[in-house]
Amino acid sequence: MTRRNFLRTTAVAASGVAAMAAVLAPLRELTDFPSLDQFLQKHYQEMTPPEIEKVLERIAREVERQYGLRPHVRDLKPMNGVEFVYCLNLTRCVGCRKCVHACVAENNQSRSPEIQYIRVLKMPNGTFDMEKADHNYAPETVPQEGSYFMPVQCHQCKNPPCVKVCPVKATWQEADGITVIDYDWCIGCRYCEAACPYWARRFNFAKPSIPKDKLNPNMSYLGNRPRPHGVVEKCHFCIQRTRAGRYPACLEVCPTGARKFGNILDPESEVSYILKNKRVFVLKEEIGTLPRFFYYFDV
Amino acid sequence: MTRMVKGYLTFLYRSASLAFVGDWRYYLWVGFLMIVCLLGLNAYAKQFVHGLVITGMSDQVSWGVYIANFTFLVGVAAAAVMLVIPVYIYKNEDLHDLVIFGELLAVAAILMCLGFVMVDLGRPDRFWHLIPGIGKFNFPGSMLSWDVIVLNGYLLLNVYICGYLLYCRYQNKRPSKWFYVPFVFVGMVWAISIHTVTAFLYVGLGGRPFWNSAIVGPRFLASAFTAGPALIILALQITRRVTAIRGSPTEVLRREELGVSRPATLADLDVLACQIPALASVPTEIRQASLPGSTVLDVPPGTTVARQGEMDSDAFFILRGRTTVRRYESGGYRNLGTLGVSDLFGEMAAISGTPRTADVITDENAQVLCMPADALHKLMRDREMKRRILSKMAERIVITDRAILTLRSIVQISMIINVFLLLNEVFKEFYTDSLHVASSKYLYFGLHGYSALNAWIWTAIACNLAAMVLLLLPLTKSLRWLGTACVLAIVGIWIEKGMGLVIPGFIPTPLGEIVEYSPTLNETLICFGIWAFGLLCYTVFLRMAIPILLGTLSKANEPGSDLKGSEEQLEALLQSSIPRRRTVESSRASLTHVETTHP
Repeated sequence: MTRRNFLRTTAVAASGVAAMAAVLAPLRELTDFPSLDQFLQKHYQEMTPPEIEKVLERIAREVERQYGLRPHVRDLKPMNGVEFVYCLNLTRCVGCRKCVHACVAENNQSRSPEIQYIRVLKMPNGTFDMEKADHNYAPETVPQEGSYFMPVQCHQCKNPPCVKVCPVKATWQEADGITVIDYDWCIGCRYCEAACPYWARRFNFAKPSIPKDKLNPNMSYLGNRPRPHGVVEKCHFCIQRTRAGRYPACLEVCPTGARKFGNILDPESEVSYILKNKRVFVLKEEIGTLPRFFYYFDV
Repeated sequence: MTRMVKGYLTFLYRSASLAFVGDWRYYLWVGFLMIVCLLGLNAYAKQFVHGLVITGMSDQVSWGVYIANFTFLVGVAAAAVMLVIPVYIYKNEDLHDLVIFGELLAVAAILMCLGFVMVDLGRPDRFWHLIPGIGKFNFPGSMLSWDVIVLNGYLLLNVYICGYLLYCRYQNKRPSKWFYVPFVFVGMVWAISIHTVTAFLYVGLGGRPFWNSAIVGPRFLASAFTAGPALIILALQITRRVTAIRGSPTEVLRREELGVSRPATLADLDVLACQIPALASVPTEIRQASLPGSTVLDVPPGTTVARQGEMDSDAFFILRGRTTVRRYESGGYRNLGTLGVSDLFGEMAAISGTPRTADVITDENAQVLCMPADALHKLMRDREMKRRILSKMAERIVITDRAILTLRSIVQISMIINVFLLLNEVFKEFYTDSLHVASSKYLYFGLHGYSALNAWIWTAIACNLAAMVLLLLPLTKSLRWLGTACVLAIVGIWIEKGMGLVIPGFIPTPLGEIVEYSPTLNETLICFGIWAFGLLCYTVFLRMAIPILLGTLSKANEPGSDLKGSEEQLEALLQSSIPRRRTVESSRASLTHVETTHP
């Protein structure tokens, strides 16, 4: 190699490295780079109980580090002989959106950017065309003459398009009918968002932010633990509550009793009674998703 | 075994080295692409840190310009098959050499597709979850998992076929049909499958009526077979212009200045037939038919019989004497070899209508039989003769006008089908006028005062219609107009199946909400970066492939067997393998790649 060649090659290589460093400079702001454990973590359904314990412990540690609060992170399994069903009484719903905010608080949803699982539609009387719905009505003025209100959230379909399309099986249907997401397995392709006919799924476009004092420390792996950025989430029927025998937060907060929740396999349950006796319908029945979320009318 | 591996590594090393050398235009182009790539990489670094929040996407419109580009580029990749089918099923000779251009484009397009999928992922660090066997693959349930398989499979198929054919050419070996033809046929079906699967990504979603239409698959194929070959036409035209594959036209030599001439007779052909067995078996009436217009010239030494770059359609058989073939390359002339009695030259220009690629100069008093293109075509009515002439040509790389015009008919017909299918879709939507028309209304006319896509789609329609009309007119048989039509078609289809298909599927949302989408600057920069990366790949692929196809980079001119030669040796090797920069040195191996044939 001649001296000239050497100098030339060095100059080209040096400017190449410099350009690369300049171009990649934004990466210096990267804070939450996944650890090796996180990177190699297995799919939820493939982890052994001790492995899950380890992961739960890691999540608790991370939450504590970030929010200064030791959470209670569990991995609750479906109960035998239970299949959850939701019924919503359109005659009673007044559109107060208390369910929306109770859900946000219970499920540790990101406040900025804002993520909400429940969308309440204000519909003019006499139509079912959702294009006519008002998504941004002001809640102080409800109930409103000439309108009815229709909250929409994940319908926990028996034939869920979102599960079918997920390329990595990061979302699946559990034995009790709840479609869950492994937030640590989702690759963030958002195909499920495109597939969902109820617009029930939300994506963490940025790192979720929750005020420290607003954090709900009662968490579960498939439920309301704080999500990482870049993954999809949605309503899971408050899995951390309902699998422990409690009602979902949206139901508890509802001031009109429009929301009913229970085990469809129990013939004595409230939801069984409603499905047998009320005028019940599901949204977009023609798509064949077989929702476990029913709407009904009292009068 | 070791020798084979070493030989192959030498091939790879020499080809790869080519990517770093070229003339100033090459450096300018590559430098430009690299800068855009780096800008894109910088934009992606920002997105990697802050998340997809810095794109224009939202929960309402959850796919944007990344997936739009992805969809378009899968089509471009699939369109390589439109070169393969005519060649391998209809035995089209003009396109034969160009298949590799299409396949290399397919490779570049798939690389871009993978890039666009990667930048669209919320968690690119988890991409390994998508790898069958290692991750957890939802196959056959998810159409996206099908896409992972067909796209990567298609990439491997094309890399293999291109690599094999180029390596054979490099070794000056005839490719063994068993090693590639089966893959070519698998590739044909595969190409259709990649775009069908990509269409099914959308078609399979019952909650999105705008996509949930059986015609999307056929529409994808039609638009792909328009935009893909259009892109190839442009690439070929540019390639022709900037490489030695076709020189620039120079003034045509006048026959009367060459020497004494007389009309050719059957006796002249008999002289040739003594040397060319194929000609001896040509029936007399065919030989007779080739005589009108043919002349015999007595040419003094030192006369240029054929000149590089001239647009002329005569071919020459040497009846007596010797000639030298040389080519002008930047820096000077390079001798390519000597021709003797019964050799044919100039047939490439005669058959393909391209300018001559070399000079042919007499060394001594010579006699040549000058045969016009139509006379040569008459002679080629004899199958054996035709085979002899064409088989020699098929070993060379030549981009003929006829090849480009064949592609023109493909683009023409595909565009008509594409517009027809679009019309079908539009009719179904608007005539039915059900609630499902909302997305189409939004796209074409705006909905409830939202109309961000109207300008896009009408531009697309205008481009498509203009391209269709242009392609139907004989005007586009001129290459400049054909180029214009191709650009219009590409732009029209990019919008139609990118912004025009992906975005309106999300608007309104399944709950009737309207949130509009437009890409942010950062998002756009990432797209440009990926496009630049793809074009860079394609440029480099062609940079490596063309010298191999031309025969200027071959095993025969390997500098010894030792790879670790001196710097100077390497430099000389690099210089010698670029058609435009070589100065000295003649190589016998290149002879077959000039306009000569030894029947």
